[in-house]
Amino acid sequence: MEVEDLGHHISKRFNEDLEHVRNSVLAMGGLVEEQLDRAIKALSEANSELGLQVAEDDIKVNRMEVSIDEECSRILATRAPTASDLRLVIATLKTITDLERIGDEAEKIGVLAARLASVERPSTNYRELRNLARHVKNMVHGALNAFARLDTKGALEVVKADDAVDEEYESIYRQGITFMMEDPRTITRIMDMTWLARALERIGDHAKNICEYVIFMVHGKDVRYTGIKNIEAEVAQATRRQETRS
Amino acid sequence: MTLPNRWASQLIALAAWLGAAILLGVWFGGIGWWLSGALAFYVAHTLRNLALLDRVLDGHKRVPLFVTRGLWAEIFARVDKIRAKARNRKKKYHRLLREVRESTGALSDGGIILNSEHEILWFNPAATRLLGLDPTIDIGNRLDNLLRHPDFAAYLAAPTGEGITIPSPKEEAGWLTVQIIPYGQDQRLAIARDITREIQLERTRRDFVANASHELRSPLTVISGYLDTLGDDEEMPEGWRAPVGEMRRQADRMTQILRDLIELTRLESAERKAPHEFVDVGGMLKLIAKEFQAAGTGPAVELTLATDVALVGSESELHSIFYNLVNNAVRFTPPAGTVRIEWRTEGDAAVFEVVDTGIGIAPEQIPRITERFYRVDPGRSRATGGTGLGLAIVKHALQRHEGTLNIQSREGKGSAFSCRFPAERLVHRAGAARAV
Repeated sequence: MEVEDLGHHISKRFNEDLEHVRNSVLAMGGLVEEQLDRAIKALSEANSELGLQVAEDDIKVNRMEVSIDEECSRILATRAPTASDLRLVIATLKTITDLERIGDEAEKIGVLAARLASVERPSTNYRELRNLARHVKNMVHGALNAFARLDTKGALEVVKADDAVDEEYESIYRQGITFMMEDPRTITRIMDMTWLARALERIGDHAKNICEYVIFMVHGKDVRYTGIKNIEAEVAQATRRQETRS
Repeated sequence: MTLPNRWASQLIALAAWLGAAILLGVWFGGIGWWLSGALAFYVAHTLRNLALLDRVLDGHKRVPLFVTRGLWAEIFARVDKIRAKARNRKKKYHRLLREVRESTGALSDGGIILNSEHEILWFNPAATRLLGLDPTIDIGNRLDNLLRHPDFAAYLAAPTGEGITIPSPKEEAGWLTVQIIPYGQDQRLAIARDITREIQLERTRRDFVANASHELRSPLTVISGYLDTLGDDEEMPEGWRAPVGEMRRQADRMTQILRDLIELTRLESAERKAPHEFVDVGGMLKLIAKEFQAAGTGPAVELTLATDVALVGSESELHSIFYNLVNNAVRFTPPAGTVRIEWRTEGDAAVFEVVDTGIGIAPEQIPRITERFYRVDPGRSRATGGTGLGLAIVKHALQRHEGTLNIQSREGKGSAFSCRFPAERLVHRAGAARAV
């Protein structure tokens, strides 16, 4: 893989810097994953204390973003990286923005979960939401794994999964409208639920973005807004090119 | 120095060749030609054998040899022997390797070998199953990049104790413990074990205790209520007075035990870290000390506030810690003794200490006294009205404040219980106003 050229820099420090940035992104990813996990747990266990705790802990994610951001700027300024190194730094800068947004959405979910914990719960205990949450969690996990492994095939899987998440969100939304029409007393709760589903759906989008940066970082192709078919073709083509080269 | 036989024969052969050449040279004339001819022949012979040796070393098994004796024959024989030995050794290692691979493959625990940079060098199939590692692409990746839970990253950076419990990255609601064992030169072995079942059992146990305590509390309230009314009844026959009094005391004790059980299960199931509320330790300790001094029956209670440092934590839990420790000290100290309470700083940590002149604890008992319902002397403990849960509550509440409990005791002389709170939990008075 191309980013493995990292191993051949004349300056050992430079290598270490790049490696450190990459590891920091994944550490931040780990924190974001945990935040999301806890926010979802707060929802399914009706634990308002945990939900508010998640909201409070978002500051840690923000701090990490700032520190990685600074490190990237420093590398850009002092090392003037080119080719795959430059792509790594750019992809990192974009990835941490998306991770930070996922953190924000997790914060939102925490607050909403805390609010939903104190009102009557449907007999299904928000099964649709928990389902959606599981899918989204897997997407974030897959996106970060793809980033760690520079695995564009894995990234492609996550990009594909986003459609299903969008559909699920759509159906929760429609279902919510039906409930609200049937019984206006549920409006507050359903509104909160919809916001929560919306936050989850946004997290899915951010995970998808991260995967697109991974494809950019590995193959040097910008595949944003080009549609799934095109992304698939690009990845297949780039992988073939690499196989013939090696 | 004596030459080995093979060398002697080789040198003799060479000398014979040269001797023959000289003789022939003298006989027929042209001694120079004869000599160079003999040397050329010798060199050609040696070159040919070298070429053969080269082929043998290249891995050709059978090479036609013209010599059966002498230096070259021996060299070839020795090369053969070395190769046969190497072949056997290789076979043995192959077999060993296969056995190791088969046995590690059959292990149910995941095993991963890491280098000093936490990069993955090798892992077994169970690691794939438990952690989702991919044998085709994950060799050389850092383990903490794939197992990203923040607690695990912290543990990997400084592995201590018995490993760490993290949610499984693959299974919904699954749990793993991962332990890092350093070995060799800068290498580490990570062992991952699936403990989902243990966690579930633990949760079932906790839920059962919590539910049972809650369910028992309401009937008990009714019983206590009637016993209170009965006890206050003036017209009760004299013979019933003592039994009813005893029933009241026991009902109170049961209420107390249930309250402690509920508190304990709450501590166990709550988030690992206590909240950050501002707690004025000095004021709290004054109140606790006053309560025991006012009782007037027990030993003397002395309070020393050597610092005015405050804590951030849960007010009710910190009260539980301090109250339980003081209560224990008072219960196990005869009325003539003293109980000293001290709040002080040590370095950048703060220490709460209770020292008594009571009956003390035998050294072998000390590790066990924080277990639930563990009693050093069951009869005595019950007589003094303990629930057997106090120290368990202290231990759990302290853990939630990142504190540590230290117990020192000598039988018959007294005990010292001290709680140490880390710097992160302290609020120094100058900053107190801001923290509130």
